[in-house]
Amino acid sequence: MSNFAAPPPQRRTDVDLATRYDIERFLYLEAELLDDQKFEDWLELFDDDIHYWLPTRTTRTVRERDLEIAGPDGAAFIDDDKAFLAGRVRRLASGRSWSEEPPSRTRRLITNIRPIRLESGEFEVRVNFHVLRSRAERHHDTFFGERTDLLRRIPQEPGFHIARRRIVLDTTTLLAPSISIFL
Amino acid sequence: MFDVSELVQPDQGLINPSIYTDPEIYQAELERVFARSWLFLAHDTQLPKPGSFVQTYMAEDPVLVVRQRDGSVKAFLNQCRHRGMRICRADEGVARAFTCTYHGWGYNLAGELVNVPMQDRAYHDDIDKAKWGPTRVPRLHNHKGFIFGTWDESAPSFEDYLGDMVWYFDALADRYDAGLTLVPGATKWVIDCNWKFAAEQFASDMYHVPSSHASALVALIEDPAILAEFQAQSAAAPGRQYAGNGHGSGFALRPDLVPTQAGPDFDAWVVANREQIYRRIGEQRALAVNGHNTVFPNFSWLTINNTMRVWHPRGPGQIEVWSWTYLPKDADERAKQAVRTSTIRTFSAAGVFETDDGENWTEIQQVLRGHQARKTTFNARMGLGHERHGTDGMPGGVTDDMYTEMAARGMYRRWADLMSGLSWPEITDRDEARQQGEQEAHRA
Ligand code: FES
Ligand SMILES: [Fe+2]
Repeated sequence: MSNFAAPPPQRRTDVDLATRYDIERFLYLEAELLDDQKFEDWLELFDDDIHYWLPTRTTRTVRERDLEIAGPDGAAFIDDDKAFLAGRVRRLASGRSWSEEPPSRTRRLITNIRPIRLESGEFEVRVNFHVLRSRAERHHDTFFGERTDLLRRIPQEPGFHIARRRIVLDTTTLLAPSISIFL
Repeated sequence: MFDVSELVQPDQGLINPSIYTDPEIYQAELERVFARSWLFLAHDTQLPKPGSFVQTYMAEDPVLVVRQRDGSVKAFLNQCRHRGMRICRADEGVARAFTCTYHGWGYNLAGELVNVPMQDRAYHDDIDKAKWGPTRVPRLHNHKGFIFGTWDESAPSFEDYLGDMVWYFDALADRYDAGLTLVPGATKWVIDCNWKFAAEQFASDMYHVPSSHASALVALIEDPAILAEFQAQSAAAPGRQYAGNGHGSGFALRPDLVPTQAGPDFDAWVVANREQIYRRIGEQRALAVNGHNTVFPNFSWLTINNTMRVWHPRGPGQIEVWSWTYLPKDADERAKQAVRTSTIRTFSAAGVFETDDGENWTEIQQVLRGHQARKTTFNARMGLGHERHGTDGMPGGVTDDMYTEMAARGMYRRWADLMSGLSWPEITDRDEARQQGEQEAHRA
């Protein structure tokens, strides 16, 4: 089940510049691992209880706007735990996942990073993203939207674990044949 | 113009690939196939209360499907009769009425024109509102919660249209006492391929699974020894394929209802409800009918994977996939979550099975840009002449294995009959004669 459905009310405070720097550095490292296709290393960034979630959305009237994004019991493109994320990584390494063999080339832009410190000591970080994916001879997809991560400090490098991730695309109908890359 | 008999020869298993690319053929399909067939519109559970609506498509035509105050369902074109604006521009929701945003014509839930702004001054009260409602879908049929519609007054009844396919459909639709419910929300994505690739695969193609989905089980099963064992077992399993009226169903025969792909939380519920399932659809059908299915032309599902979808055509070279996860309505929350997540992980646009299907279809469509490629005859001859109609008491044309293209040939036969402009009575007569011939050949 999702922790995004009803986030516990917590005191939320701004982060200092040093922390912001650490968080940005961490997010850029993650982007680099993905674009460099170092998926096993990337998997290390997640806590064991990670919930990795990309709900669908629909076009609604203003009155029903709050129903636009599917809830935790609704439709989703991705709804993974750590074991299944590891399965996806295994699959990509198998050389037989044809939507990624030959592999896509990706370039991701992570911007508008908005970190907040929660009372629990964890960080909620919202970012905008734009991921470009080029496949085979001339196939080209573009994914854009917002990610909300829950980050936990860890004593060793790279300084954080990702404990929750919710991805919301700005599209309703996905204008791509698949999401065989990570967002 | 095109000559349908040169495009497909179902009895020979030969296909001219221009049927996947030619814009003229595509336009003819909209008229002769989609406007004359029964198309899936919505499931009851998408329309929970009076005023609940979804906008769907019948091929390229936007259609509003609306729950009425008396509980019935009506469907009409989402097109204002004044200048053709969309009457409703939300995907779904609850409405009291629909007002066209262009000049403000107002429609009630039944799709009747009830309000014309400045009716006295602008129209001098000289407008017969009863004549200017949006085009109604004239025939709807609710089959165990699945709402279908057709534009064609002369089409056979839905029961006759399904024919023996109803037995295979009901392995899904009639499985549980409390019926089915959909996970809220459709998952929608776009694949650059002709709609027939997808519809045909779900009607007839178990053959692609070992190759296309070589990596999917790697994601699902960590231990290589268990993986190898599982693959060997599935390869050895006997199977069957059904074909009739353009529909198709194929499956492996299973020894038990469990284990399912959804895992132990759902398995526990299935085991607790095993007797209910057997009582409703019989043990043989419950165990056997678990595979791929298409109701002609573009409604498909995978019984065991809990995914169903419509392949909406978008030109000769593109489809929109609209897919849903279905669940037993009275399953407990843990069981429901187990099914929901496992179906998302396998058969959404990011699903470890689904992504590789789209890859094949888009590549074929790309290759078919070539002039020579479009002239190259495709081979749909698998099992041709070896169709043993050993039926195990299963209704309709059933072969003794799932590795055959009998249902694909059946789909292209129905497609060809419709595309030739034959009337519905002519098509039904032909099908009956063919089925009788098959039965006689089987007895001989
Ligand atoms: S187009 Fe609808 S009112 Fe004019
Ligand atoms: Fe497949």
